[in-house]
Amino acid sequence: MNQSGVKQWLGALASLKLTVALFAMAMFLIFAGTLAQVEQGIWTVMRQYFRSFIVWIDLQLFVPTGLFELPGRFPFPGGFIVGGLLLANLVAAHTLRFKLTPKRAGVVVLHAGVIVLLIGELVTALWAREGNMSIDEGSYASYTENIRQTELAIIDPADPKADRVVVVPQPLLQNTQGQIANPLLPFEVSVDRWMANSQLLDSRNAPPALAELTTLADQGLGKQLVAQPQPQISGVESQTVDAPSAYITLWQEGQKLGTWLVSLYIDDGQPVEIDGKIYTIGLRFKRTYKPYTVHLIDFKHDKFVGTDKPRNFSSLVRLVDPQQHEDREVLIYMNNPLRYRGETFYQSAFKPDNSGTVLQVVRNPGYVLPYIACILVALGMSMHFGLHLHRFVRRPAP
Amino acid sequence: MTTGQRIFPWCVVLLAGVYLCVGALPAKDTGPYRYGQLGLLPVSADGRVKPLDTVARNSLMILSDKQTLRQDGASVPAIQWLTDVIARHEQADEYPVFRIDHPGVLSLLGLKQSDGKRFSFNRIMKHAQTVSEQVQQARQVKPKQRDPYQKHVLELSRQLNLYVQLGSMQRPYMAPPLEPSQQWQPFEQAFEAAKQGATPHPVVVHLSAAMSSYQQQNPERFNAEVAQYRRFIQHRMPHAGRKAAYEVFFNQFEPFYHATVLYVAAFLIACFSFLSYSSSPSGWSRSLGRGAVWLLWLTLGLHTLGLASRIYLQGRPPVTNLYSSAVFVGWGAVLMALILERMHKLGLGSITAAIVGFTTLIVAHNLAGDGDTMEMMQAVLDSNFWLSTHVVAITIGYSATFLAGFLAILYILLGVFTTVLKPDVRKQFGQMVYGVVCFALLFSFVGTVLGGIWADQSWGRFWGWDPKENGAVLIVLMNALILHARWGGVIRQRGMMVLAVGGNIVTSWSWFGTNMLGVGLHSYGFMESAVFWLLVFVASQGALMGVGMLPLRWWRSMSAEQGEAVSKNKTAVPAVSP
Repeated sequence: MNQSGVKQWLGALASLKLTVALFAMAMFLIFAGTLAQVEQGIWTVMRQYFRSFIVWIDLQLFVPTGLFELPGRFPFPGGFIVGGLLLANLVAAHTLRFKLTPKRAGVVVLHAGVIVLLIGELVTALWAREGNMSIDEGSYASYTENIRQTELAIIDPADPKADRVVVVPQPLLQNTQGQIANPLLPFEVSVDRWMANSQLLDSRNAPPALAELTTLADQGLGKQLVAQPQPQISGVESQTVDAPSAYITLWQEGQKLGTWLVSLYIDDGQPVEIDGKIYTIGLRFKRTYKPYTVHLIDFKHDKFVGTDKPRNFSSLVRLVDPQQHEDREVLIYMNNPLRYRGETFYQSAFKPDNSGTVLQVVRNPGYVLPYIACILVALGMSMHFGLHLHRFVRRPAP
Repeated sequence: MTTGQRIFPWCVVLLAGVYLCVGALPAKDTGPYRYGQLGLLPVSADGRVKPLDTVARNSLMILSDKQTLRQDGASVPAIQWLTDVIARHEQADEYPVFRIDHPGVLSLLGLKQSDGKRFSFNRIMKHAQTVSEQVQQARQVKPKQRDPYQKHVLELSRQLNLYVQLGSMQRPYMAPPLEPSQQWQPFEQAFEAAKQGATPHPVVVHLSAAMSSYQQQNPERFNAEVAQYRRFIQHRMPHAGRKAAYEVFFNQFEPFYHATVLYVAAFLIACFSFLSYSSSPSGWSRSLGRGAVWLLWLTLGLHTLGLASRIYLQGRPPVTNLYSSAVFVGWGAVLMALILERMHKLGLGSITAAIVGFTTLIVAHNLAGDGDTMEMMQAVLDSNFWLSTHVVAITIGYSATFLAGFLAILYILLGVFTTVLKPDVRKQFGQMVYGVVCFALLFSFVGTVLGGIWADQSWGRFWGWDPKENGAVLIVLMNALILHARWGGVIRQRGMMVLAVGGNIVTSWSWFGTNMLGVGLHSYGFMESAVFWLLVFVASQGALMGVGMLPLRWWRSMSAEQGEAVSKNKTAVPAVSP
């Protein structure tokens, strides 16, 4: 392509008409992504609408709940495309028309802020990790749990010092057709049935629709209990999370050892005896182990006098990190997190009867970008609009 | 200017001043009982220390949707009603205070809509068994799946509960802590403790005596006991006593109600001024205009007093819930409109200020709904720093976007239906709307990002794509879209006006619509009738945008100009041709 061709393309990419069109598209995407949250969970919506290239939008979204059925859907550019194009448009415009005059300085600064903001959201989308750390009073935790992912844990408790654990991550459980093997295990695992959200019922009271499942498991608790599939949780308000269950079969050299029901509801797993050795298998939230421990000394939950309205939650914890030689007490409360080793610990929830605390643990390498962006944009806008206002007020009287 | 024209603005302000002074006069107890003194006592309800007067008003509001009771043609103040509920309940049980609207609930009680709107406790209790059965059934349904009938049955049950709790003095908590380590207690609890042999709490000593003398129709003793207890409060907790007294003044004065009235008056004066100015500028149009502006500044002062009082009483920044956001949106928009009026002196700023002030206060009044508008904040919201930065910035963003939208509506209506939208007026309109949109973009953006930073501080997620956050960013995008479209030549002055009206839709969605979805971390709660009004508002704004896009020949202002231009040309032709 020759230079004028590049210029032409750059010109088109830098056009304000494109900016306007992208703003309109972003508004529509965000509006649809808000409506979608009435039925779907926020994380699903985020993935489908805002952290995607193309989203298929159902027409039904635009009909108030229960009014009438409107089948059909249409494709629309997702957040990555709209956001990416906005970024490209902005960068192209400044490349093409860059002039650092006092008049333009404000615009340049504020747009730099917008770029930082868009990049910050991209960094978050790609690299931020969230987990929960729940600790009982008087006890400690050395790992975080991802409450939106589970794993099948197969624990060999033979060594009294430390358990040997093999975990099968959720995507593998969900998507594998055949058997899953690991050299550390003397057996293979296959998944007969995966339920993204479920509840457990007593087999004897199970509705006829579940007849097939009641006989599926021939080992462990699955002989008394049956898992019933449930729709996935919608909305962020409900505080609850999906509770998956699965029917799994263990195999050894092509021989079926039996079928078990595993579920997030079965807290401590179930014992399984293979070759005279006892393993514990169970479905649990995906864990990430830390090189330090957090001990909960005291959890406080204050309410306003005569009401059930929470006034304050706080957790007094002791942070012990042998590697860093840290051993100190920290008070974590609302709007006052603990930042440690690139992670931030927030007071998030509490256990029933206030017997323990739940901390949200977030690692976001881009967390500081929005702060910078906010300052840049506010500064840039004030400069730019201030200049206009100044000129307007100083205009000659009509 | 004639003398009449010169003194007119002074007269307007003087008249408004007299009106306010009359409103500020404390209400006198007409009968032998000094209920007013009782109303000044601080108590604790819903986690906040407030005067008994506020509790009485809010409770009556919850039960009957009014702050005073009509009984036998006379109006009974809330505090007198509450005293009756506590000490003369045989009488109070006959007062028609329970407002019941739902036909299903009415028929449950053997009533018809023609029987009236408000019914007595005794009348409802005739069907106590049926009501309790229905309540049990409704409770078994999950809150989101309840139909209107079930919601109303449960509402009635809550109202009955409140009434019973008030009568038995379980609510509010009347016994203040005597030691720093203690907390407020219900009167009943302090009473029981005294019965068990503990030193009686002063509230037990004096209020028991006051209430029994009230029952025995002994006003002297009632007044004396209440006065004694008040002296105890003033001595032991002077700050709470003063604050309670100020709150009673605030309740009686009702600054927002008077501000609403004055905004209407200012609107009328400003309209006369603008119309007379645009037909033929005269001394009177200027005098009227000045009167409107002065009155508006006075009203804004009153509006500010109301806001400041709430800040003092609550110990919080101005915006803490939907009600206070409406009050603040109005305040910000009126202030900005008056500044515009100072800069442009067209009368348009005054008209817009009056309309926005009036409308937002009416909206606030309807949002006040049930109970205390100065409620305590949930733990996560309990942060004065963020409430005073993020929330205030975002609310000013709402104000500015609405202001731009209302100016644009005025532009469209004046342009299409009148001939006053002359080129110089249009130019000034263009400058005003443009400036306000810039301002709106600045504040909505900063407010939104500050909200993200708050979220990052409190749960480690700068942006969660929840409905309220999305609503906020829609306002930012809308304002950015208007400005970029204008810069890029996609729209011109009229297009900017049409889009600014669209800004009203986006802002109302962000402000109210997102709360109606029933999901999201920020939601204030579901409001059914509000859904209807929101749809009406959105439809009206859509219609106005449609009007704004009518071909120019249908705009009376523009076609009148073209007519003029044509006739000018005609006269010009002979001059040139020879």
